[in-house]
Amino acid sequence: MENKSPLSPHIQVYRWQISSLVSISHRITGIINVIAISLVCLWISLIFFSESNYETINLLLNSMVGKFIILGITWSFSFQILSEIRHLFMDLGYGFELKTTKISGIIVIFGSVILTIIFFIIGKSFI
Amino acid sequence: MVQISLSEKSKIKKGKYFKDKTGSKNLKKVNVYRWDPSSGENPRIDTYEVDMDNCPSKVLDVLNKIKNEIDPTLAYRRSCAHGVCGSCAMNMAGKNGLACTTPHADINGDIDIYPLPHLKVKKDLIGDLDGLYKQYQSIEPWLKSSSKSEVTEIFQSKEDRAKLDGAYECIMCACCSTSCPSYWWNGDKYLGPAVLLQAYRWIIDSRDEERQTRLKKVADELKLYRCHTILNCTSACPKGLNPAKAIAEIKKMLATANI
Repeated sequence: MENKSPLSPHIQVYRWQISSLVSISHRITGIINVIAISLVCLWISLIFFSESNYETINLLLNSMVGKFIILGITWSFSFQILSEIRHLFMDLGYGFELKTTKISGIIVIFGSVILTIIFFIIGKSFI
Repeated sequence: MVQISLSEKSKIKKGKYFKDKTGSKNLKKVNVYRWDPSSGENPRIDTYEVDMDNCPSKVLDVLNKIKNEIDPTLAYRRSCAHGVCGSCAMNMAGKNGLACTTPHADINGDIDIYPLPHLKVKKDLIGDLDGLYKQYQSIEPWLKSSSKSEVTEIFQSKEDRAKLDGAYECIMCACCSTSCPSYWWNGDKYLGPAVLLQAYRWIIDSRDEERQTRLKKVADELKLYRCHTILNCTSACPKGLNPAKAIAEIKKMLATANI
């Protein structure tokens, strides 16, 4: 009879908390960042091979999709930076009170958007 | 292994609809997870229309009303009804808590009631907590001291006693452990917030003489470090305790102590 028992619903019914949302986003952005860094390495290696590669990639990055990817990666890094700082504080044993976790979570979420804009503006001024 | 979707036998079907018979104007729909072990069918969601004019304030009162007045076949655990025994832990409106201390007025719209997440269901809202109790046993939650001190009183300073505050109040209702995604995916190896909070409670007890052994025992990649500070545990705890902080303190002790 025991193995006939169903499993009660879990992720299907559990409401997202700010802290759980930040936690899972931290993991996802971490994976994205690893892929992004690999792509940057690939980009640089390709430039070494020929000039036409550079022009192709430049064209790609200046397209709508390319811009979207750049913005996405910038956000991903911004989020990871802020979330990691939050985690460092937690590793030291601070910021575990329910209210603090909510506030720090909101700071990470909105801060990542603001940081993305800042990075984008700084980056733009170099071009 | 992480399995996000529910298996075929755990899929939830639409169940019966119990229309209100009292003629009350103040109705609330209550959706309750049902599973009958004798029927061999899939779990289902039954919907009850409950007359809220004649219902006390807590979710447990709603369930009692359903059981007494509408459908006596509904099964759920309950005992003290004052948030002390921890029997009526369940998932209400997407969050774990004690039915006897959760006001139904706090829930907007329909009230969705499920058993504690990611447990083998025994019947309706009753989940199988055997695994958790075995893990609790594994941390040996009792005072360990040499035979010499067994015959005399062990003194504890006020400061040392204060360290136990926020840890000894745990009623083992399992709201925290079953709210933890890490515990969902690795519940067989990861001890989970409830058991780790208790492990912490014995580690910091000044009267206990096996601190080092206890620390060594939990210092394990799977037993302890599956905690990724998701903090669902702290937000679920009906007693306002902070298992996440206790786990962080254990990690901190392990990082700073040389054992």
